[in-house]
Amino acid sequence: MTSDQQIIEGCAKHDRKSQQLLYDKYSRFLLGVCLRYASDKAEAEDILQDSFLKIFFNIKDYSGTGSFIGWLRKVTVNTAITNYHKNLKYRYHIEIEEFVSVETGVESFEEDFFTADELYKVLNGLPAGYRMVFNLYAVEGYKHKEIAKMLGIDTNTSKSQYSRAKAVIRDKLEKLGKLKNRYSEDNN
Amino acid sequence: MKGKVENKMLRDIFRQKLESAEVIPSPEAGVNLMRLVGRWEFLRFNPSRFNIWYAGGIAVAGAALAIILASPVHKKNISGLLNTNTSEDISSKKSDEIQSSGKYFELEAQSPLKEAGRIAKKTARTNTVASAEKAQLAMPGSSIVPAGQIASISGKDIFKGGNPVTDNLRSQSLVTENIASASVTEGCAPLKVSFRNKVVNYDSCRWTFGDGGTSSEKNPKWLFDIPGEYIVTLSVFGTGNLHSSSSLTVVVHAVPKARFESSPENAILPNDEISFHNYSSDAVKYRWDFGDGSSSELFEPMHSYKKSGRYNLKLIVSTEFGCSDSVIVKNAFSGSDNYIEFPNAFIPNLNGPSTGYYSPKSDEASQVFHPVSSTVSDYQLRIFSRNGILIFESNDINIGWDGYYKGNLCDPGVYIWKVRGNYLNGEPFTKMGDVTLLKN
Repeated sequence: MTSDQQIIEGCAKHDRKSQQLLYDKYSRFLLGVCLRYASDKAEAEDILQDSFLKIFFNIKDYSGTGSFIGWLRKVTVNTAITNYHKNLKYRYHIEIEEFVSVETGVESFEEDFFTADELYKVLNGLPAGYRMVFNLYAVEGYKHKEIAKMLGIDTNTSKSQYSRAKAVIRDKLEKLGKLKNRYSEDNN
Repeated sequence: MKGKVENKMLRDIFRQKLESAEVIPSPEAGVNLMRLVGRWEFLRFNPSRFNIWYAGGIAVAGAALAIILASPVHKKNISGLLNTNTSEDISSKKSDEIQSSGKYFELEAQSPLKEAGRIAKKTARTNTVASAEKAQLAMPGSSIVPAGQIASISGKDIFKGGNPVTDNLRSQSLVTENIASASVTEGCAPLKVSFRNKVVNYDSCRWTFGDGGTSSEKNPKWLFDIPGEYIVTLSVFGTGNLHSSSSLTVVVHAVPKARFESSPENAILPNDEISFHNYSSDAVKYRWDFGDGSSSELFEPMHSYKKSGRYNLKLIVSTEFGCSDSVIVKNAFSGSDNYIEFPNAFIPNLNGPSTGYYSPKSDEASQVFHPVSSTVSDYQLRIFSRNGILIFESNDINIGWDGYYKGNLCDPGVYIWKVRGNYLNGEPFTKMGDVTLLKN
């Protein structure tokens, strides 16, 4: 198996074989990142494609000091943000139920109760703005200040979007949880 | 604190499950990407990969450049040759083609041998070649005959019959500069335009209006109801599919929409100041007519009427292109004709009972419980204490309750009132309510 170092050097020389290797090695992980930022798999694959183009043509920018996978992920997240801005004009409306939903949950969830697939579904169903902020804050671990800068919004907007996103997610997870419980009861 | 713990949980669930989750991309995604990369790589110039493709690309680019550079020279040649042929009306490429095809037939008829030699040129035939040949042939014949005429006469036998002279006339009339005209070319939607085909002699014509509509009438009328810029094209067809076309542009401006509401909903004139809420769209200028002789050009004006009554309201909005719309509300505030309304609290004068007479402007007005009303003819107001004791009665609308009962100021609290009566038009009214007597 070719090491990351060899692949990177190959890609820097625009070697097609290295590019293919890079894709084969990391596309699944990066699509996992993209899918968190997209409303469906097709959109995620679009982001993935743009990300790989950026990766291939800017691989010289990778300093070689940090983790390579971290760099790949950063490029992908940035591409997702660009994609979000590009599509922003189509997404200006937010469903009223989602907007006014109240923080109801006191329930906490068991860690392994939900599958990754279900969590993806929940994220895909969020309004784009909520999805961006939630991903960047909760999963990527950026601070609200950084998120505000990245998305070109106010820090407070980022905070409030995050708390609303949380409420919506919790609501969705609760519903899903009930559904799953009922399903397992029926089965028993 | 509880919320904090829970947040972390929600966050952790997502982070643990999704941070390094893998999703298998569809196979096409990879193929498409590599294809795209290939294209980008190809476009990226790399001297180390200089190969036959780059060489080919340069060759193609060079050839294209040569053609571009050569074309003005070609044109000059053509016009020079045409002038020597005393042809007047030939400006369009089309007519050149007509002639060259005519020329072609002529050659066929007159000198088949010569033609055979030229047949190789058929594929690469240019206007220059045809015109040059024409020049040669026109000279020995007669130098006065226009080239166009040579074409049609000599092509007579091969063209399906027809009078060569009229054919020639037609082909000349078909190349007139501007053959289409319109009654208007700019206006507000819906815009009705009458088009005119100025060509006199032709077989058929076709108008395309740029909005998907077409017509084969000579002088069609067309209604453009969606704002926009439309390119209207007239194509005229003569014999043998020769045609000429000309275009004109029709600009249709959007029409604004006038809409407004006034508040309060059941305004009482003249007491209430009326606010106008403007819901018009696409407009830049507004003109309000309040129906009492005054007007405003503000976006959302306020207006006070001096008298109660019915007013016709009118709003005219217009765009920067002068397209306008208006809305008229007739007999606005008609609800204000018959009314009687009571306040829900008052503060009596502590210095002693009054006559109960009040005039709207005096201080007494707020110290006496009384209605505001219009067109009331008969009237009876009775006020009860909470025990049900009648403490005041008035049959005169100008006399209200001063808050005293038998010379003593009543206790602060809630009192019940009931009013009965008729408006001037005979319509009866009965109302009940309560009023709070306040003391300060």
